[in-house]
Amino acid sequence: MSLLNVGSRALLANQVALQTTGHNIANVSVTGYSRQRVALETVPGQFTGAGFIGKGVNVADILRNHNELLTRQAAVAQSVQASDGVRNERFSQMQNVFSGGPSGLGAAINDMLNSLGDVVSAPTDLTARTVTLTRMDEMAARMRSASAELGEISYSVAEQLRNNTTSINDLAKGIANINEQIAGAIGSGHSPNDLLDQRDQMIRDLSQYIQVTQIPASDGTVGIFVAGSQALVLGHTASQVSLGESAQFPGSGQMALFFNRAGAPPIELNENMLGGGETFGLLKFANRDLAEGRNLLGRMALAIGSEMNYQQSQGLTLDGNPGKPLFSTPAQINGYTTGPAKGSLNLSDPSKFTPSKFAASDYEVRFTAPPGGGQVVRLSDGKVTDFTDLTDLASQQIDGLTFEFDPLFPPAANERVMFQPFANAAANMQALVYSPRDLAAASPVNAQMGKSNAGTLQLAGIKASGEHWDASLNGGAGGVATTGAYTLPPTGSGVTLTFAADGTFTVNPPPANPPIDRSATPPQEMSPPYQYQSGHAITIDGWEITLQGTPKAGDSVTVGDAKDPQYGDWYTRNASNAGALRTLRDKKMFDESTLSDGYAGLMATVGTRAQSAQYAAKLSDSIANNLEADRSAISGVNLDEEAAKLIQYQQAYQASAKLLQIAQNIFDNLIQTMGR
Amino acid sequence: MSNFYRVSTATMYNGAIRNLSERQSNLVNLQENLTSGKRVVRASDDPVAAAQAERAISRIERLKSEQRALETQRNSMSLAESALGDAVDLVQQLRETVVSAGRGGQKPSDRQTYASQLQSLREQLNEVINRKDTNGQPLLGALGSALQPFVGPLFANPDNQFNGLPGQNSSGGVDIANSLDGHSALMFDAVRDGVYGATVTRQPGSSLYTTPAQTSNRDLMDGASYTFDINNVTTDPITNTTTVDYTLTKTDKNGIISTSTGSSAPVLAGQPIAIELMQGADKIMSFNLKGTPVSGDQVQLQPSAGLMSSIDAAIKGLQQAGDDGGTSQVVTQALAHLDTGLTRIQAVRGYAGELLNRADRITDDQGKRSIQLESDRSRAEDLDMLKGISDFQNANTAYDAALKSYAQVQRLSLFNYIN
Repeated sequence: MSLLNVGSRALLANQVALQTTGHNIANVSVTGYSRQRVALETVPGQFTGAGFIGKGVNVADILRNHNELLTRQAAVAQSVQASDGVRNERFSQMQNVFSGGPSGLGAAINDMLNSLGDVVSAPTDLTARTVTLTRMDEMAARMRSASAELGEISYSVAEQLRNNTTSINDLAKGIANINEQIAGAIGSGHSPNDLLDQRDQMIRDLSQYIQVTQIPASDGTVGIFVAGSQALVLGHTASQVSLGESAQFPGSGQMALFFNRAGAPPIELNENMLGGGETFGLLKFANRDLAEGRNLLGRMALAIGSEMNYQQSQGLTLDGNPGKPLFSTPAQINGYTTGPAKGSLNLSDPSKFTPSKFAASDYEVRFTAPPGGGQVVRLSDGKVTDFTDLTDLASQQIDGLTFEFDPLFPPAANERVMFQPFANAAANMQALVYSPRDLAAASPVNAQMGKSNAGTLQLAGIKASGEHWDASLNGGAGGVATTGAYTLPPTGSGVTLTFAADGTFTVNPPPANPPIDRSATPPQEMSPPYQYQSGHAITIDGWEITLQGTPKAGDSVTVGDAKDPQYGDWYTRNASNAGALRTLRDKKMFDESTLSDGYAGLMATVGTRAQSAQYAAKLSDSIANNLEADRSAISGVNLDEEAAKLIQYQQAYQASAKLLQIAQNIFDNLIQTMGR
Repeated sequence: MSNFYRVSTATMYNGAIRNLSERQSNLVNLQENLTSGKRVVRASDDPVAAAQAERAISRIERLKSEQRALETQRNSMSLAESALGDAVDLVQQLRETVVSAGRGGQKPSDRQTYASQLQSLREQLNEVINRKDTNGQPLLGALGSALQPFVGPLFANPDNQFNGLPGQNSSGGVDIANSLDGHSALMFDAVRDGVYGATVTRQPGSSLYTTPAQTSNRDLMDGASYTFDINNVTTDPITNTTTVDYTLTKTDKNGIISTSTGSSAPVLAGQPIAIELMQGADKIMSFNLKGTPVSGDQVQLQPSAGLMSSIDAAIKGLQQAGDDGGTSQVVTQALAHLDTGLTRIQAVRGYAGELLNRADRITDDQGKRSIQLESDRSRAEDLDMLKGISDFQNANTAYDAALKSYAQVQRLSLFNYIN
């Protein structure tokens, strides 16, 4: 009888083995499935006088082939892969906004500046003026549309983030449920393999969205923690995350993930805490990369707009009035804070900001405790500028910006105020001048050579620049103050520069402020006797004259007020200020690159970021794939292996069946023998 | 359990498919490069090259706009140059007419005819020098001027004016000035040129006329006008020499009057009497008295405002001149002034010619730069076609091989051998 027992047990065990193999084969393509194998055990032998007689085989357990460590590693790697991947995807969208070539934004800027050349050639040609104004409008429109495209990307990133939080919450709930089931099933003493696989897969899915830490509990459940220590799933309870604007700087548009626990205030998780997952990649993209793109674009819009407005204000329109702004630029930018302080950046007084020194960054003013002094931090690279009090802060330009705080609203201790000077500059850029007569092409000052000049003096340029020497700047060393105000030469006689034999010159009437040698780097204060240098621009009382050639003793140049009645309507045929506007293309504006090259720099910056995001995505992709291959090498199903096992177990099954047959034969023979 | 030799079937397929799609996307990218002809399609393909190309494009556009501006300037300048050329022709004709008027044996009516001819030429000259370019800018507008920079004759002193800001705009590396200094071309400055016109008021019996006045140390005169009154003409009967005593009244430009007296060096009677006017120890003006001066004759010496003033003076002089030395006075003086004027015009015309040459040089230079920039751009972003095609062929072959191997490997299975 025991032979029959041994046979039937073997038959059963091999059937289970075959079924498990079949289960493996069936699940070959199921993601997250871990192959199972049957652990067979020998039934302990029966003790007889002849020793222990084997009693066959038994199925001990169905085991899941699985490596805890690799599974976790793969999940983390996939988390990083998801974050890099989504960032790369978004970057490739963003760099399309900053495309180059003849149809790009850079071309629009250069076309606008180049078109001023036609105004310079023909100042009274209203068509040339109209073309320039249309190009300005076009440039502003391109700025706005580029900004709108960035806004579009920002919107879809926010949508994706919102979807991600929903998925995170759903998966957290799912994991909590499975935890509960597993805790129940594990009491049976056998591991519920398929449930475990399902949970691992859900954790892997969750890792796509947010990087998690898993901590197994003794009851078979797994605790899921995000951002280092926030328990998203604990046992069979799940918490929730939600998306919102960072509470630190309300209004700034900075996004953050909030961790909501029951009965406690939400905890803000910023992107630095998250470590991986799509959510991390998207938050990083939205708060840093997209903000950088927007700042680069906004800086360009604000700097070009301000510079052109300024030069326009230094000229005369065809009707003889000072030019009105060409582009709308914000008068001031307010800071974002949760505290009492009221800070702003002054963008209406030309002496308070310097567009050529702008850095494409957001800024944070951090007050100390007790309040008073503090630091201004440039967020793009963390550069710190200290200040001792609000007056000290307001008296200096940091990256061409002046941070002003209302003394009636003193800042609180450790208060932090965020400034985004460029975030909306491009979005709000509008061309304001549409009448061709209102383009201030003429200079408010003119120049004439002395009629008896015997030297070779020629006029290379004259314009109003609104610059003065201010001895108090640069800590007493003196510097050029840009106020936009210029003193017109007295009508009738004007201001005369008379040259002496030794190359010096005198100015009559003497200027109120020291003349400035504008071509020196840095610009130098000139002191009597003023030394003439051919081709050097000289600033006197807010206007700037450039002379070339060699004067003889007694040669003179007289600068006059262009609106002086003795000069009639001559200024209408003057295009010095249009020339000065055009010359802005060579002004060093964006981190030492010229205005016309600024866009190429911007493209390269965004391109480099996109490229490194691409490299990062490729790298983390290959790391994740390798780890996944390693993981699946252990837990994945190999069909050939299963085929081999199929044959193995089939033969064992057949052999077991043979055993039964033989047992039956023996039994039959025995019965037959007995029956005779 | 060792898993060194183990590979999961699903992973194997996934991996193969991933590799296949990577190769395919590589192939598609190469195809995009080939069809667009660009190596850098997006900035991220090669940020540095993209920026270089962008800079090259913006410089090419800028060159184009500079070329267009230069064409306008060249146009204006050649118009200005030809206006000055026409002016030179007209002045030459004026000169010939004046010479004809100075020939002996002319009747007053002949002189009137010559005066009308001169008048007509002067009017033409006035049109020529007030010409404008295609954009309506005066060609000789100097540093800025009224629409008609040259006005005159006026009932004022000076009788011809340059309504503008004297001086010459400089030319840069990529552009040239688009107007010329009309003041320098056509106006006389008392200090710079010192062109003085003499008008003689004769007493009865006088046939005085003067040679054109030569000036020196002009900064001392500073544009003053002079009245030269002959007080006494004495002829020494022994030596037969003549001496002239005179009073010189100087009215400086601010209207301050000063007088001085002097005498000429004795010359043989009938010979021209050389007069040298001095200020302090410096000689400021010299001319010869010709004909027969008598006591009470007066010579007015006025600085001429410009070529047009001198022409106007010649016309007026011819109309009023009698058969005495007056015609000769007008003609010699007009010729002297026209020559000075021609020199000035020629100088400015020469400068215009040089500017036109410069414009040609700039065009040549920019043509070369444009080619250079285009090749910079191309080097930065264009695809080397040979390399592109060879890369594409490689990728094609590789993808083909990958597909074949996948097809072969996926046919291998132990199941094929189990019956």
